[in-house]
Amino acid sequence: MTLRLYLARRVLMLAPLLLGLSLLTFTISRLVPGDPVGLAAGPQASVEIREALRVQFGLDQPLPIQYLNYIRGVLQGDWGRSLYTRRDVIEALGVFFPATLELTLAAVILATALGVPAGVISAMYRNRIPDHIARVISLFFVSFPAFWLAMIMQTVLGRHAGLVPIGRRFPVIMTPPPQVTGLYLVDSLLALDFAAFSIALNHILVPALVLSFGALASITRITRASMIEILERDFVRSARAIGIPERVVIGKYVLRNAFIATLTVISLNFGWLMAGAILIETIFDWPGIGLYAVHASLSLDFQPIMGITIVYGVLFSLVNILTDVAYGILDPRIRYG
Amino acid sequence: MVETSSKSLQQLRSEARSARRENLRRSLYRFRSNTLSMIGLAILLFIIFIAFAAPFVVPFPEDAGGATHFLDKLLPPSSEHPFGTDKVGRDIFSRVLMGTGLALQVGVTIIVLATTIGVTIGAVAAYFGGAVDDLLMRITDIFLTVPALVLAIAISAALGKGIINAMIGISLVWWPGFARLTRSLVLSLREEAFVEAAYGIGASHMRILFRHILPNAVSPIIIKMTTDFGFAVLTAAALGFIGIGAQPPTPEWGAMIEDGRHYFPEEWWVATFPGMAIWLLVFSWNLLGDGLRDVLDPRARR
Repeated sequence: MTLRLYLARRVLMLAPLLLGLSLLTFTISRLVPGDPVGLAAGPQASVEIREALRVQFGLDQPLPIQYLNYIRGVLQGDWGRSLYTRRDVIEALGVFFPATLELTLAAVILATALGVPAGVISAMYRNRIPDHIARVISLFFVSFPAFWLAMIMQTVLGRHAGLVPIGRRFPVIMTPPPQVTGLYLVDSLLALDFAAFSIALNHILVPALVLSFGALASITRITRASMIEILERDFVRSARAIGIPERVVIGKYVLRNAFIATLTVISLNFGWLMAGAILIETIFDWPGIGLYAVHASLSLDFQPIMGITIVYGVLFSLVNILTDVAYGILDPRIRYG
Repeated sequence: MVETSSKSLQQLRSEARSARRENLRRSLYRFRSNTLSMIGLAILLFIIFIAFAAPFVVPFPEDAGGATHFLDKLLPPSSEHPFGTDKVGRDIFSRVLMGTGLALQVGVTIIVLATTIGVTIGAVAAYFGGAVDDLLMRITDIFLTVPALVLAIAISAALGKGIINAMIGISLVWWPGFARLTRSLVLSLREEAFVEAAYGIGASHMRILFRHILPNAVSPIIIKMTTDFGFAVLTAAALGFIGIGAQPPTPEWGAMIEDGRHYFPEEWWVATFPGMAIWLLVFSWNLLGDGLRDVLDPRARR
């Protein structure tokens, strides 16, 4: 099967999953005891005003009709409006989504940059001191409640040492780089604005680092395990026997083979870190969809929550598909099918 | 004839038992010689002891609830209040210790519920196959399309704030991992000769599945339960922190951190000690789970 056909099939298979997901979140949103409209209208609102609101949001229709209306809207780019802010969900998602994507990507890159070398070292010094140290360190950091560690680091590095800003993506008084991707780090580079790049980097460093800790242990562990498996293969002995330097054997032959297993774990972690970003965004006041999700859930504002879940679902599924494509690039023996 | 065959059956049974005992002994030996997991186990036993002893040993047991002592509010750590006091003068040392039992209960409830749902669904799907498998796995896939925390927040918020609803919400999103794992285990075990044999002597589907197949799938499931425990505790604390889980004055560590966040860093002790308590509990489980993985899954660590 060609890559293009494979991609088309995978994307098509997404549709029923996302439909199921939307049905699930719709069901959840109608489980809410009490009256979200009443809450949104405020205690002083008269019965007429509540009824008007209910009609305005289509909540007077039977449930199946409400669901069909919602799906039709989603397909047409109308994802409903927040009960509280009256802001269009799709518009808010467009503003908040790049912030979360940037934070998650930065954390995944950091976790890979820290976890893979730790796993390689562990495998090379298997069951010796460096191995044990790497193991304890990764378990040590993964056990922290991320929101707590974020708060401590924000205070120590930001407030006391003054090394980094204490929150947000960019200083409020400054204009962010012209939007192309919405990722400030990329946009500032595209605009060749290196001052903005360093400001954005400064803002993202600590949140991304704290977030990356959550993925450290599993990336280290899987890299170590698959490195050890590959190290025992015959071709490694042959490579060493014909005098290929150890650095090349490890870096080029063993790691490349071992990286396929690591890649699976990295892509799984992408999903977990995206969820973990919810907590980190709360601490660092990072204007992403996590912060949006928390505000919406606390006020039982389900229109945004349904939209947010779909965005998470699409992104997570796309990452999985990209991972499968990457397998084929790393290992040409893998065929798409 | 009848007597000899029953004798040899007994013999077979005792041989099987001694082989199993030998296996267990070896596993225990491997586990004991793993220093890190022994440290994890020791910390965990200490935490369990605290959970039971707390109501009898803490200086201010009534502070675990809604007691207020406004004259003593936000006192720094001292000999009287080792962890200081919070915004209404409650002793944080007492609250952290009294919260230990709650944290353990939350973790156990989530993991047991998620395992029960997940193992049943995964086993039934794999054993019966066909349309049943397709249906159950598609449902599982839907849950796996979004990160667990996102759905847990949505479900718990919809059910209403509180620790019980948070536990239900987390369990309802935690089972798919167990379902996937159990399904893959049962799929391969289903083809074993002993399953065919049990079927041949007329054992029912339920008996084959629960008495013959699942007992052979226990090790990987236990590993997952142990390694997931810490993350379940972290997730519940996260919901408490966001404000959807446990509500004040419940001495839940996540909610206590959220409470202390507003006084950080000037009154650092309010948020710091509950966070350290969460870390210690999760760290001990992770050490334990890491060692258990080595013991129960020999391929995992070499």
